[in-house]
Amino acid sequence: MLRRLALAAVPLTLLVPAVAVATGNHVEISATPQPVEVVPLPCFPAGKVMLGMTNTGRKPTIADMRVSGDSALTLSRHQFSSYLPVDQLVKAPLEITVPRGTAPATHTVDLTVGKERLEVPVVIKPVPARDNLLLGEQAVASSTNGNMRLCGGVDGNADSAQWGASGWHDNTKGVFPDTYGVDFVQTTTIGRVVLQTLDSTTYPAAVMGIRDFDAQVRTGSTWTTVGAIRGNVQGRVTVTFAPLAVDALRLVIRDSNDHGYSRIVELEGYSS
Amino acid sequence: MVTRRSFLTATGAAAALALTGNLPDLVDAVGISHRTDKRPLFTLGVASGDPLPDAVVIWTRLAPGPLEPFGGMDDRTVKVEWEVAEDEMFRRVVRRGTAHARPEYAHTVHVDVRGLRPWRHYFYRFRAAGQISPIGRTRTAPAPSDEPAVTLAVASCQAFYDGFYTAYQDVVRREHDVVLFLGDYIYEVGVGPTAGVRNQAVPVDFAGEISTLDEYRARYALHKTDPDLLAAHAAAPWIVTLDDHEVEGNWAGYVSEDGLPHDDFLVRRANGFRAYWEHMPLRLDQSPDGPSIRLHRHLRYGRTADLSVLDTRQFRDDQTSTGGWLPPDEVSTDPARTITGDAQERWLLDTLGRSTSRWNVVAQQVAMAQLDRKTGPELELPMDTWNGYAASRDRVLSGVRDQGVRNFVVLTGDLHRSVASDLRVNFADPSTPAIGSEFVTTSISSGKDGVDADATGRALLAENPHVKYQNVQRGYLSCRLDRSAWTSEFRIVDRVVTPGGTASTRATLVVEDGHPGTHLA
Repeated sequence: MLRRLALAAVPLTLLVPAVAVATGNHVEISATPQPVEVVPLPCFPAGKVMLGMTNTGRKPTIADMRVSGDSALTLSRHQFSSYLPVDQLVKAPLEITVPRGTAPATHTVDLTVGKERLEVPVVIKPVPARDNLLLGEQAVASSTNGNMRLCGGVDGNADSAQWGASGWHDNTKGVFPDTYGVDFVQTTTIGRVVLQTLDSTTYPAAVMGIRDFDAQVRTGSTWTTVGAIRGNVQGRVTVTFAPLAVDALRLVIRDSNDHGYSRIVELEGYSS
Repeated sequence: MVTRRSFLTATGAAAALALTGNLPDLVDAVGISHRTDKRPLFTLGVASGDPLPDAVVIWTRLAPGPLEPFGGMDDRTVKVEWEVAEDEMFRRVVRRGTAHARPEYAHTVHVDVRGLRPWRHYFYRFRAAGQISPIGRTRTAPAPSDEPAVTLAVASCQAFYDGFYTAYQDVVRREHDVVLFLGDYIYEVGVGPTAGVRNQAVPVDFAGEISTLDEYRARYALHKTDPDLLAAHAAAPWIVTLDDHEVEGNWAGYVSEDGLPHDDFLVRRANGFRAYWEHMPLRLDQSPDGPSIRLHRHLRYGRTADLSVLDTRQFRDDQTSTGGWLPPDEVSTDPARTITGDAQERWLLDTLGRSTSRWNVVAQQVAMAQLDRKTGPELELPMDTWNGYAASRDRVLSGVRDQGVRNFVVLTGDLHRSVASDLRVNFADPSTPAIGSEFVTTSISSGKDGVDADATGRALLAENPHVKYQNVQRGYLSCRLDRSAWTSEFRIVDRVVTPGGTASTRATLVVEDGHPGTHLA
């Protein structure tokens, strides 16, 4: 008897969640750009899309966006919730990545707010030909500050003005050495390393940049120092050496000009 | 008769019948049991807050995956039963009812339980989908005419990645009647993959600074993965207010310290406020209306204490310069300057003026006493505190003096250091009478282990005759108020970067009834 009553009532229970759905009726979803292009490298600066919600109703509301994608895609967020004033675009970034070796294809990411839905096309691109062999490869660091990104030093952006969004520094203030570099997935020939350390009008290299570092390459499990720089005050520093087939490359940073953090805007590596 | 054991182990329809026997509850419990997700729902514990003589708010959140999107919940509203009893076995249930955990409130539940008796311990619990929550203990405020001794714990600043919340073990052990939390419950900056000193795996989603509502919600859930924090919420009611990091470091009024445009910052502020209210045991009166929240409020503990809770962030003028330690300038000494806003300042002085209680307590965020850390006649003051809003402080302290406010005590957080001070209208003249006392509680974890005294701490003692005590380790303040005295024990934890630290009393300071100012016991 109890069981029958209970089962009969199940549909009523499922009708309960009206409130959250109703708020979605006046929310417009946006995503920029479309399609989203993704390159199957771990630190490549692609796959970025700005999600948006605009409240087109008459009263401010709270909205929950659900973000879902094909299983081939890794999404940096599955939820975007916000207070929405009337007629104001509210934005949140989404990053889409795919494993190395993913074949070119088109996928979709679904964005839903209540009954509103937007399908965002996602195009997986082939890995482009690169002179800078570090670009987009998996960065490895001794530590990374909470406000910085591990990939920030190999994302192709060497502009010190965009340091905050696109650079790297360690999380051990005043403690050296720090290390930053790349582990290659296959043996790669490197003969030149270029460091762009922080060097802007506000934060000149002579004050905030990396001062002392060793460039090292690894073959198998053996690290070899291929160049050592001391007393640097420049933003862009090149270390050239006889090309070597290596499994990894890193900087061992021994001091910076403020003796605080090791700040890398971009680290590049070339075959010669 | 339902025994505690059978209640805690029963599930589904049987438990629903045993608890209430009425059909709607039974139906709902069974309906929700169709969830394929059978994980525990009450991972974030329970809490209670803002006690009145006849009422207290009880709180919980359903989150089978606390660090997952939507806490692991789908978008359905869930009925949650609650009950309040006089005994831990729930044999004498005095109130029960049903609430809704709604997705638009992150499946949090706030119940303003009325009809309780004054100055009594009560036990409460929730049930949803056949699962029973942990049991919380709370205590109502004393009757208006009574004057019992009251114990309170004062805490602030619990950076997740800087340390374990060991101090809360001591808060629980010492059985306080109420816990005051004075801000920086969460930090908005990124949490690395191993959560700093904790060596706890944290999803990569937590690596960046937060600004959307889902991110603020997830950050509360992360902080509430600490079992000592949950235990402290379950042990006593909390009275809370926020400071800057619940929104953004050093925000001031409409001004973002990250330089966000006005409209974007108001959305961020609204998101921060919303997640704050959702996760705190606050009444509906404190529920934000977009980017506005009413946190300043008045609570009474009989004739023992009047408690004014302030919000010194939402209505303040922007900090002078960086808000760091600086000499006073024309901005910080501008007579028009305010840290409370005019309305809150009038409300505070009115509330203090009308009080008939023995102890008049202001629970707020940032240091009120002058704190000069520069050796010699020049001053260097923390500009994010009342020190950067000199005229605002003058008006409040003059008002306290002119109205003859009895036993004025200010409780403060923010500094990550313990400080005890006399308050006087003119700090430059130590011969003028003290009109009250300030106790700054140190951080629960922010700043890691700390030291007994750093250069700033030594300078505070040397340069400020009204400063009676300082320490830069972690811990909280354990206070007892009675008819003869206010006693503040600075409870200090010997280490927080590893678990298992030990708490002890580093110093005890006393205010005697009718004698403004504090001294070491």
